[in-house]
Amino acid sequence: MNALTTRVAPGKPAAAEKSSRRFSIVRLLVYVLLGILFVTQLYPLLWLALYSLKNNEEILSGNFFALPASPQWQNFTDAIESGNYFRYLFNSFFVTSVTMVGVLLLASLASFAISRFRWRYGQVVLLIFLVGMMIPMQATLLPLMIIFKNMGILNTHLSIILPYIAFQTPISVFILSGFMKAIPHEIEESAVVDGAGIFRIFRSIILPISVPPMMTVCILTFINIWNEYIMAATFISSEKLKTLPFGVYSFVSQYSVNYGAIGAFLVLGALPVILIYFLLADKITKGMVAGAVKG
Amino acid sequence: MNVLRVSKLTITAFVLPCLLLYTCIVFIPIIVSLYSGLLDWNGIGESKFVGLQNFINLLTNDPVFWPSVRRTLMFAVFSMAEIPVALFVAILLNRFVKKPNFLVSSYFLPVILSVVIIGQLWKTIYNPASMGGMLNQLLDMVGLESLTRSWLTDPSVAMYSLYFVALWQYLGYHTLIQFTGIQNIPADIYEAARIDGAEGLKADWHITLPMNIPIIKISIVLAFIGSLQAFDMVMVMTGGGPAHATDVISTHMYNMSFLSMKYGYGSAIAAFLVVICLCATVIINFLFNRLERKYS
Repeated sequence: MNALTTRVAPGKPAAAEKSSRRFSIVRLLVYVLLGILFVTQLYPLLWLALYSLKNNEEILSGNFFALPASPQWQNFTDAIESGNYFRYLFNSFFVTSVTMVGVLLLASLASFAISRFRWRYGQVVLLIFLVGMMIPMQATLLPLMIIFKNMGILNTHLSIILPYIAFQTPISVFILSGFMKAIPHEIEESAVVDGAGIFRIFRSIILPISVPPMMTVCILTFINIWNEYIMAATFISSEKLKTLPFGVYSFVSQYSVNYGAIGAFLVLGALPVILIYFLLADKITKGMVAGAVKG
Repeated sequence: MNVLRVSKLTITAFVLPCLLLYTCIVFIPIIVSLYSGLLDWNGIGESKFVGLQNFINLLTNDPVFWPSVRRTLMFAVFSMAEIPVALFVAILLNRFVKKPNFLVSSYFLPVILSVVIIGQLWKTIYNPASMGGMLNQLLDMVGLESLTRSWLTDPSVAMYSLYFVALWQYLGYHTLIQFTGIQNIPADIYEAARIDGAEGLKADWHITLPMNIPIIKISIVLAFIGSLQAFDMVMVMTGGGPAHATDVISTHMYNMSFLSMKYGYGSAIAAFLVVICLCATVIINFLFNRLERKYS
């Protein structure tokens, strides 16, 4: 460590050789650090993948980094068959897509009005949405449950889709109205001169231009809703309607000693998002940053 | 300004569906919740108006409440302490790695996984060695048997085990945010600084840090609000146990209202949480606005 600090001490620019050596040592340290971080962030997932292919003996033997002697695909068939994997997958897919369509439709209509119409309360409406972003979702769980019970929609997909749409609207309106505000007004003027109605302007001009921010909204909605657990667990009780995270949770609590199958179910649960991330990593990271920055 | 002039009816048609759903699902429940905080009610039967009694009990007579507030705040402190680390990693990535996107998106991967999966994954890692837990097996292997323990059921470490998982999951998020911020700093500023003799860490201190303040603010708000609302992970991994050792404000609220059936009392906790969240956002924004003015 001592030798290192003397080398890192600032050298005169004239000593070119010395400074390049110092530089390469710093560089090496940086690579080691970033490498360690890479391992800590990804190794648990790799470990899980290996774990899911082992039998109980191998898992309990303590040799955690060993490869499975023979891959136990049985774990995956167990998880898929007794764990109802495809049913949960379908439910998640259904709930997430309906939510996405709902968010896009409602938020783009509202954003269009907020950003392009001349009316007094546009900013007020925007402010209402903004305040909502700070409200903790958990605080609404109980009252919503009672409201839904009285409406008779508790334990239906509707009881999670409605709050999912509502909780995704603030950020979506914020992203969409921010984008729409920047569209030049000349475009609409010429459309009005050509006799286009307001819905036509919205559908044939504003919507096609707004595809990029709508992608961002889709990505944010997908990540948030696909992974949502607590509302699903509170509002839904019937096995047939559970979404994937809730399904993972119940599978794990039911099969507590079949370690390999639990691992397999966790892998299967993570798989859809990871696959999509492989295909769209750039878009997803950009979308998540946009969501954070706008929020 | 050539904004479209349209009739009130058209405006209503565009805005109302969204606003109505939003108000009904988000605002009305919060108001109902604020009111129910004043009731002695189990959520089903007769309710009795008790005024501020729930709040008084909460603040003066609840052995679980203040420790859960402390843990929530600790959660926030740890999450915010992670941001300088993320900024540092982002600076290194930006300066030393030619194609940083691969690493950035790898670090980010845990962020997009469901808390249930992350929680169960770490629960499995934290398991006793006899149940296949990786952490304890690792400690056994390197000869640190004395450190092995049941990470989630030992009250003295359970909460720290939870903090760690949250930090692990969100490191990639903050790194990504800071990295994007750094990439948006124009290169010619660094060029000019280099001519003036500021390079490396010195340039980071005088350029990267002040230029990135708005981005740091975003990370801080996310970390702080996220920690105040920390809920899913605790619910999935420990449910607040053992013996309330890992209860945070929101899990205390959930357990009170859904398990102990004290709906009025749970609503009082919810009201407290909403107020803290709003206050925290206002305070953070105020502090950073002053900071930004100082540096711009």
